[in-house]
Amino acid sequence: MIAPTHPMQLVVGLILWSVWFVALYGGLSVGCAVAPPAEELGAANWLNLSLLVLTAVTLLPLLYWTRLCWRAGLSSQPGSTDRFIALVSSGVHLITAIATLAIGLTVLTLPPCV
Amino acid sequence: MTEPGPRSAEQIHREFHQVWRNLPGLGTLSAVNHTSLGLRFMVTGAIFFLIGGLLAMLVRTQLALPEQDIISPDLYNQIFTMHGTVMMFLFAIPILEGLAIYLIPKMIGARDLAFPRITSLGYYCYLFGGLIIFSSLVLGMAPDSGWFMYTPLSSAEFAPGPGSDFWLLGVTFVEISAVAAGVELTVSILRSRTNGMSLRQMPIYCWYILAMALMIVFGFPPLILASILLELERAAGMPFFEVAGGGDPILWQHLFWLFGHPEVYIIFLPAAGIVSTLIPVFSGRPIVGYRWIVLSIILTGFISFGLWVHHMFTVGIPQLAQAFFSVASMLVAVPTGIQLFAWLATLWTGRVVFNLPMLWIVGFLIIFVCGGLTGVMLALVPFNWQVHDTHFVVAHMHYVLVGGMFFPLIAGFYYWLPHFSGRMPSDVLGRWGFWLTFIGFNTTFLLMHLTGLLGMPRRVYTYEAGLGWDWLNLLSSVGGFIMAAGVAMIIVDVLLHFRFGRKAPQNPWNADTLDWATATPPTTYNFASLPTCSTRHPLWENPELPRTIEQGEHGLTEISHGRRETWGSEAVTGKVTAIFHLPTNSWLPLCAAASLAVVCISLLVRVYELSIVGAVLAAVFLLRWSWENGAHPAMAPPSAEESTRDLPLHSRTHDGPGLWGMVITLMANGALYMSLLFAWFYLWTVSPEWSIPDQQPLLMLPLLASGILLTVSALDFRRITRHLKAGRDSGLQAAFWRIALIGTLHVGLLIWVIAGSSLAPTELAHDAVLLFMLIYQLFHSGLAVILTALQARRVHYGYVSRHYPYEPVVVAPFWLYTTGVFWLGFAAFILLPMSWGGAA
Amino acid sequence: MFTLVFTSLLLAACSGPYSTLDPAGPSATSAAWLWWGMFGFATVVLIVITLLWLYAMRRDPGEVDQRDAQRVQNRWVIGGGVVLPLASITLLLAFGIPAGHNMLPLPLEDGEPARIEVTGHQWWWEVHYPDTGVTLRNEIRMPAGVPVDFVVRSEDVIHSFWIPRLGGKLDMIPGHTGVLRLQADEPGTYHGQCAEFCGVAHAHMRFTVEALPPEEFQAWLEAQQDD
Ligand code: HEM
Ligand SMILES: [Cu+2]
Ligand SMILES: [Cu+2]
Repeated sequence: MIAPTHPMQLVVGLILWSVWFVALYGGLSVGCAVAPPAEELGAANWLNLSLLVLTAVTLLPLLYWTRLCWRAGLSSQPGSTDRFIALVSSGVHLITAIATLAIGLTVLTLPPCV
Repeated sequence: MTEPGPRSAEQIHREFHQVWRNLPGLGTLSAVNHTSLGLRFMVTGAIFFLIGGLLAMLVRTQLALPEQDIISPDLYNQIFTMHGTVMMFLFAIPILEGLAIYLIPKMIGARDLAFPRITSLGYYCYLFGGLIIFSSLVLGMAPDSGWFMYTPLSSAEFAPGPGSDFWLLGVTFVEISAVAAGVELTVSILRSRTNGMSLRQMPIYCWYILAMALMIVFGFPPLILASILLELERAAGMPFFEVAGGGDPILWQHLFWLFGHPEVYIIFLPAAGIVSTLIPVFSGRPIVGYRWIVLSIILTGFISFGLWVHHMFTVGIPQLAQAFFSVASMLVAVPTGIQLFAWLATLWTGRVVFNLPMLWIVGFLIIFVCGGLTGVMLALVPFNWQVHDTHFVVAHMHYVLVGGMFFPLIAGFYYWLPHFSGRMPSDVLGRWGFWLTFIGFNTTFLLMHLTGLLGMPRRVYTYEAGLGWDWLNLLSSVGGFIMAAGVAMIIVDVLLHFRFGRKAPQNPWNADTLDWATATPPTTYNFASLPTCSTRHPLWENPELPRTIEQGEHGLTEISHGRRETWGSEAVTGKVTAIFHLPTNSWLPLCAAASLAVVCISLLVRVYELSIVGAVLAAVFLLRWSWENGAHPAMAPPSAEESTRDLPLHSRTHDGPGLWGMVITLMANGALYMSLLFAWFYLWTVSPEWSIPDQQPLLMLPLLASGILLTVSALDFRRITRHLKAGRDSGLQAAFWRIALIGTLHVGLLIWVIAGSSLAPTELAHDAVLLFMLIYQLFHSGLAVILTALQARRVHYGYVSRHYPYEPVVVAPFWLYTTGVFWLGFAAFILLPMSWGGAA
Repeated sequence: MFTLVFTSLLLAACSGPYSTLDPAGPSATSAAWLWWGMFGFATVVLIVITLLWLYAMRRDPGEVDQRDAQRVQNRWVIGGGVVLPLASITLLLAFGIPAGHNMLPLPLEDGEPARIEVTGHQWWWEVHYPDTGVTLRNEIRMPAGVPVDFVVRSEDVIHSFWIPRLGGKLDMIPGHTGVLRLQADEPGTYHGQCAEFCGVAHAHMRFTVEALPPEEFQAWLEAQQDD
């Protein structure tokens, strides 16, 4: 586990985001290549559902890190590098979580393979 | 020998200059100094801008009236392709890199970048690459498939002339330069800040450049790979993008935009860094929301890698996938908005001096916000389908590029002009320049949105009268010429200022960062003494700093040893831990770049024997370069004086800049390999006529054996470096020879595998990718062996030992990477298809 | 009166054989509406930000201490930098996603859409009516008032099939087949062109579209087959 004041915190959330994004796009492409759900189902099908679950699972650590870093930041010494890193990381994690949610929610609106 | 008594500033200057100066006359071509090279980058970039601008004027001339044939369609295609290529690859990126190369060491209180010879190599790769690309225009055989070179239009069948080759080889050459700068800037920013400058205290510009540099490291390799693959397709017939052979033209688009979109932010971030630097200075207060800005920089750096498909909304990808990229594209508005409003808050709470640089910043704001807004519109898929590939996009692109890059660049240029030349610009001419450019720009491009909405596609050399486009195009052309007049005015202003400009006082704008603590123009070594800096605004808190620095009242003032030195510090805290000794003037970068240019040109004219000669020469120069390192007499031979100092020279430690440089280079290399894996999986799942040969074309047993030998060597190397770090070096030379020998066996087996396989790389994309992967592996394995053998020799000469453990520590990650890539490749290219498709 | 003149001028400026702002089918209409909505919104945003910025440069801040600066920061950065973009994006997608959804070639409630195959060549269009053997060159005839699926392919390089007044474009890519659903609301003549740069004569790669009342179209198609 990376400490909430470790500089890697600045990027871990976004690295996770990148992996999720690749999985989302890759999963959709492979899903459509291998077993495309029927067009009539619209957005209610196994593929969209799995992508939604994937998104939810990704959100958990992001939100957890947001909180962890926020607390660590507030409790470290004002004007210290630790505080700086923890607070910036917390913001990065939060906006990353919002980005994940915003992108992920599109699976509720559109059929997967057309 | 330390000299008796304190030295005068004069004396210090003389002694430092002796060590740091460039060689006189033509010898200046061997310069490695970041100030000289930064300026050369910028001047070269400016010249390419003028060339690109001239091409734009030709385009506007041709389009001014309907149905003109001033320029033939064939030539027109070359002109717009070259305009885009020159502007993106030879102007925007290099000039911003040049500015960063010039500024970064000064801002972080260092005397030079971490790898000065790389700066020089980067410059020459850029210059030669640029000249090669440009020569195609002079020879009348320029590339003509548009700056993104979509296949199959750019492939051998539809572009049989050498135009595409010029583009592919020249651009790749220039990209080597960009990656070199990316690696170097990253390491410099992280490891050579002055004492006490923690991450939190870096000037905000350094954060922008750090992000830009890392984005180059990850963003350029996909295009480098794509260019190599396309060149192989064109020259050797390997069908990576050709449907009939199992390739896919859409793969090119993915790889291109995987680079191309981040590139837009690679251009925008450093320009935004200029804005974030200037606004607080002219508001007379610290920037509001430093943390928010750092946050936005990081977010932009990542999210911009998740947008590339927005350039491909019309290729017919499922709409849900398009929606991912559409939303991601809109989300970059968040970090951009944060920066915009942090700037606004700074102006709001500051007392603003509205002078020439600020005028350009205001111009930036208006134009860039407009471009950003049309960008969000373009991200909306159903609207994008209408305006994609029309002049609406041309308008949008210039609003972001000119607004987001050119305007801040000129603002920064005026701001740092006294730094470059020691003289102040003129206000009157400068204002004329601004207003002409601003009005001309908006006349040209604001209307162009409507031209696009009325249906005019981009890249058409002419259009029929009466489609509603005539008056718009005419006005756009008039605007273009007004803008050209503005640019001319700026040039006149700058030329005149060298002669008539007022002498600049020290720190003329009352700036807060260390770049203004140097002399203006700066000395070759920037700072005679390196100050401790634990504030974001050193010059505001201590206006005496320039004087005390010059008089040698701070650290690292010894120079009698005759080495160029700067501080090496910890990445996060900035606490100084070592002294980086830097190389002096060297011809090796020029020679290496010239040899690479020979390779490039001989590939162009397809004299492959010559390209082998060039490659061997380049290898010799580069290896010689690596030889003159560490304790080598040309670098930092052991001396008595070093033991009297409280900090070790970096080559005596095992955490020097070289290790960081190696790791970051391997990240770039890894990004290239990931792109190859992407290509593989993409072709496998999507390519319409992908087929797998009936029989496994590779000799499995030798391949496996070769992998085992490789693993043994790498582990052995790792063990040796561990011992070395722990201070044990008995049998070191023999150990390196042993590793080199086992490595050679591995290479031998690998060659056997390649030679004995039944690959048909010109018929099947599958085999072409496999062959490429094997050759990539062979290159890395061979290089690892050579480097290890050289280490053995260096032990013999006493350059490597437990006192000098630095270099094996640098080579170790390379072995690890080579091994990692082998097994990853084995799993992805061989095991996975076997388990998927039965006995493939 | 002024508004009337202005509107008619605007309409005149927006018309044209290739104008996306003079839509003649449902896809083009919704794209045009999206444009006008976004254009209005963006204009307001641009003007407000510019004015705020100019005002911020002029205003006298007085004495600003750390706390004031913090307050200003929170107001502008969170309000303008986070909330404004997120709200705008949400609004945009609320209109954009349904619009995009309606443009998809999804199965119809009743019946099948007509299909027309178009193949791009350097530099002409081959139009084929499946199961009929009818082929046209640089000219398309389609039934008006009903959705039509254009099945697009390419023989050589990448082209892009675009009838601006009917709807968005779709690239024609060697090895791939794309389906673009368009509808012409009224019978009439429309114009199409290649939107993806495809070589020397790209600028001249155009075609015309004749939308006929469905019965007339059917009659024409049958007449062609008999020949
Ligand atoms: C000096 C003022 C400039 C003018 C008048 C101008 C004009 C144009 C025009 C008319 C085109 C469209 C060509 C076509 O699609 O047929 C174009 C394309 C382009 N411009 Fe500029 N431009 C200018 C400056 C710049 C700058 C500063 C940059 C980049 C930093 C830039 C980057 C591009 C790119 C990337 C393209 C696309 C080329 C392609 O389609 O392959 N331009 N420019
Ligand atoms: Cu983009
Ligand atoms: Cu075309």
